[in-house]
Amino acid sequence: MKIPAHRFLAAAVVWSMAWASAGLAAVTREEAEDTARLLAALLDAGRVVVDRNQALIDDPRKGQKGFTPEFFEGQVRSEFRERTAVDLGHLDPARVPPLARELLPSLVQASKEVVTDAQVVINQRGIEYKNFIPATFGSQAAARFSRKSSVRLKQTALQPRNPKNTPDAYETAVLRRLATQSSRSAPISELTDEGKTLRVVSPIYYTKDCLKCHGGQAGEFDISGYPKEGAREGELAGAISVTIPLDR
Amino acid sequence: MDLHDRGSILSDATRVSLFALIISLALQGCGLIWDVAQFIRPVTGNDLESICERGRLHVGMAVEPLRPFVFPAVWTDEGRRVTGLDTELVREIATSLSKQCRGQPVAPVLRLVRFRDLFVELNEGKLDLFVSAVSANIPSPTRAGLAYSIPYFYDGGIIGITRRPEVAERVRVTLSKARQKQEDKLTSVQAALAGLSVAVQSGTSADVFASTHLKNATLVLCDSLPAAFESEDPAIDVILGKEPVLKFMVERVRRDWQPLVLERGKPLLWTREHYSVVTAEESYRLRGFINGVLFQLEESGRLAEIRRRWLEDVYAYPRRAASEGLPFAAEGVVQHYDQGQCRWAGPR
Repeated sequence: MKIPAHRFLAAAVVWSMAWASAGLAAVTREEAEDTARLLAALLDAGRVVVDRNQALIDDPRKGQKGFTPEFFEGQVRSEFRERTAVDLGHLDPARVPPLARELLPSLVQASKEVVTDAQVVINQRGIEYKNFIPATFGSQAAARFSRKSSVRLKQTALQPRNPKNTPDAYETAVLRRLATQSSRSAPISELTDEGKTLRVVSPIYYTKDCLKCHGGQAGEFDISGYPKEGAREGELAGAISVTIPLDR
Repeated sequence: MDLHDRGSILSDATRVSLFALIISLALQGCGLIWDVAQFIRPVTGNDLESICERGRLHVGMAVEPLRPFVFPAVWTDEGRRVTGLDTELVREIATSLSKQCRGQPVAPVLRLVRFRDLFVELNEGKLDLFVSAVSANIPSPTRAGLAYSIPYFYDGGIIGITRRPEVAERVRVTLSKARQKQEDKLTSVQAALAGLSVAVQSGTSADVFASTHLKNATLVLCDSLPAAFESEDPAIDVILGKEPVLKFMVERVRRDWQPLVLERGKPLLWTREHYSVVTAEESYRLRGFINGVLFQLEESGRLAEIRRRWLEDVYAYPRRAASEGLPFAAEGVVQHYDQGQCRWAGPR
């Protein structure tokens, strides 16, 4: 079958435009940094919401907890708006760069999928500790998001409980640097890979709630059976690491 | 047209289909369709081959926590997982099956259901086998049609725990006196528990034991062990259950409860039980295969290592759930996750 030349050319133009918008659009460092900052804030907002509802999730006397994906999403939107002044329901082009407008809804979706999958675990009655905690939520949400995106999102720490969160060489260097700083630090952002990739490491610090499992006597076992780190409030707990290829 | 003429209109194939349809409609809801299928084409001789063909081993496990044998529905970095001694055993069986199936991988597919429903689901053919610290040496009418492998755990048995120190003391003193008078142990246990409310998980060996022997106690039937711990009405004086499971609970989770003991803290064990893998009675080849796997695991010391890992070692079960737990489908679990309730048993 012969394809007319004009149809072939039109198809080629459409294809090349789609290709450019889908995969080859270059991203400025500024846009990538803003996006990384917002992604890290959104993942952390999800972690905070899980932490805030930990008593409910671990209540052995309740079956249906009402910690549904919709309930979770509502709280995350509110937490995120409070931190960033960005409304996830209306991503303002003047304030949110195109890359973030594309990726933030994906991370919300990935986070909701995690909560959906965990319903059968969360709604168990008679079981107190279910291991649905900020860290395990964050690992799953980040992994799901990263599988569907060219941007990689990861929780990491110098001595992670989950071996999959082990820092790479770059993350190790940044975490070591952050650990020596006495005060809280802003996210650290650098170009790597000969300027082709932006790495952003957003530190997470221990709060009072974290210390139930991570504080106290080092080596003593926490509720899940892990040895406690002996951490203190305000110390560096780990970081959310974002890797964005600038030549997408 | 008479019936004979009508018969000649239908082909043989149509008649067979029609007959099968009528039979299947007639048996709908009776749970007998599987039986009919078995009658026509029994799986007796090919249970192993059919597992190899489908590449999946359908395994049932209790949705109720039977820690350290079954830690059901743990959230991990990898998603939902089940872990525990029984899960590790299932992994070993599946690995051996993969070798048996000429290298064709056999993946264990878990169904998490209520303990009592494991027996039903196996009989209905939904499972190839189930494990959940099931006592093999407890006769019960609910276990007809099932068969057990050789044991993988020998030191089971029933113990009692209480939250009330005065109950623990009463039992200890009563049994001590009975021992001095050289009275029968069972009689003295009956006397010690007389008038107390004793909770058991329905369908378990503790249920069978209590129903048979504890006539002077007030029996409370609970849908799960957590339900027994939580029950306030009826209030529970003593919970009877599997020794390794209750020991795990009082040592790691519910430290406000204590085991009933004899003098000098010697454990008060009321039965001796061993736990086995359960298959359908007619799954001869599968059962024989599992027996072979268990024997090799025992001989190599691997089974002892598995028991030690879960019963003696200090470990973080979420970590084990993430690294070696088995995934399960949420379908079918949702309606079961509630621990249920407790109720007076009444005359049985």
